[in-house]
Amino acid sequence: MSAATAVNPEASSGISIGYSVSSMAEWLRRITVCLRGPRGSRGSGVVWRDGLIVTNAHVAVGKGHTVVFSDGTSVQGRLAARDPAVDLAALAIDATGLPVASVRGARSLRPGEVVLAVGNPWDGEGAVSAGIVHRAAGQGAVIFADIRLAPGNSGGPLADAEGNVVGVNSAIFQGLGCAVSSETVMEFLRQAGLLEAA
Amino acid sequence: MPGFLVDFSNELAEAVARAGRSVISVPEGGREGVSGTIWREGIAITAEHTIRGLDEVEVILPSGEKSKAAVAGRDHGTDIAVLKVAGAGVAATLADEGQARVGEIVLSIGRRRDEGLAATHGLISAIGGPWRTGQGARIDRWLRLDLNPFPGFSGGPVVNARGEVIGMATSGPRRSAATIPVSTVNRVVDQLLQRGRIARGYFGVGIQPVAFPEGTARELGIGSERGLLVVMVEPGGPAAHAGVLLGDIVVRVDGAELQGPQSLQGALDSDKIGQTVPVDLVRGGKLTSVSLVVGERPVR
Repeated sequence: MSAATAVNPEASSGISIGYSVSSMAEWLRRITVCLRGPRGSRGSGVVWRDGLIVTNAHVAVGKGHTVVFSDGTSVQGRLAARDPAVDLAALAIDATGLPVASVRGARSLRPGEVVLAVGNPWDGEGAVSAGIVHRAAGQGAVIFADIRLAPGNSGGPLADAEGNVVGVNSAIFQGLGCAVSSETVMEFLRQAGLLEAA
Repeated sequence: MPGFLVDFSNELAEAVARAGRSVISVPEGGREGVSGTIWREGIAITAEHTIRGLDEVEVILPSGEKSKAAVAGRDHGTDIAVLKVAGAGVAATLADEGQARVGEIVLSIGRRRDEGLAATHGLISAIGGPWRTGQGARIDRWLRLDLNPFPGFSGGPVVNARGEVIGMATSGPRRSAATIPVSTVNRVVDQLLQRGRIARGYFGVGIQPVAFPEGTARELGIGSERGLLVVMVEPGGPAAHAGVLLGDIVVRVDGAELQGPQSLQGALDSDKIGQTVPVDLVRGGKLTSVSLVVGERPVR
């Protein structure tokens, strides 16, 4: 996990905060998918690497999720791993050449840093919200952020100001957004044997 | 070259870190612990309502060290308690809150028992003039925040994007965050350090709001349809000395028409103690006036 390399070329040519946020949002949307469950449920996922979507365990319930990309195309996802204890799941997809997440360790996050979330709440696909890191993740598995999340954000990325994914949004607690840290995601993938295949 | 968003992000993180050097944790405060702000060297403030009844509290300093802090004074009215914290860390950089502008980005910063610094962000959503708390204390400026309060934020600082403190955060009505601005905190801290409490003015009367019969106020040339009926006069008190009698109806104090018991509060601010104020009252159907020397409310 190498920290902090800007993945979005437009991040460096920003001419205003608003432009910076919208170009960052555009990039994050490309690595965010909408997951449609067999019983009509809707959540989000992150293209973690080629052929692999990471989402929440509570989103990947039941068999046969449809993975919808930001350009509207879709494929079927197969459940590759699921661990409710850390609220994570991985879906394998037959798709290559996708834009994939650049990952940053959450332990280096400082309170006050800007974070962005992209997801699919009921009233907006690829919806973006912005906020700040509420407190340092420390050795904990959860990032707390002062950001407005909605249920459909579950499984989607929480990213830093450079567009690096630091966690997977999973819950709302006392008005704060909670995300499973990228370290926890990596450990989950390692245990599931999904990391070596990269 | 990093973009604006990265610069902005770094600025906010630095503001939190900079201000955080003056933020302490008060684990015994409130339900889950609250925060405090090192206001001057050796002096911290916290939200009074969260440490009621305690003469000494445990604090966690910015260094992570635990220490005991004596409660040097408390003011229920402004919700400020002063703690003595020797060798605690850096005193906060205070902003001139008069320079604050609507739309400015602000951060509410706290320190949590185990997790260290915590912050939420928002804006100054409105600025207004002086206001009074439910306890009657005068707050010099109304700073309305568009910001999510978080568990334990009370007593911590509200800072601008440069990390300079514009006030102390505390709970407002309806789960909002209220700000006690720097000027008010300074005034209250000065008084608490000098005397251990905030002096309040005192008339030595018991009052009851009453409405005049239709037309009476106009006949007497009073602006308000209401007055305050004196139902008790403390023997030897300021009102008794001024010649106020049981049954008098107070209609004007220091030139200000009374709208209700709250209207008296302005005449009871600590800076009025010892001053002579004219009190207009209705006695036996006639308007009359007495001169009252405002006393100091006894400590009970």
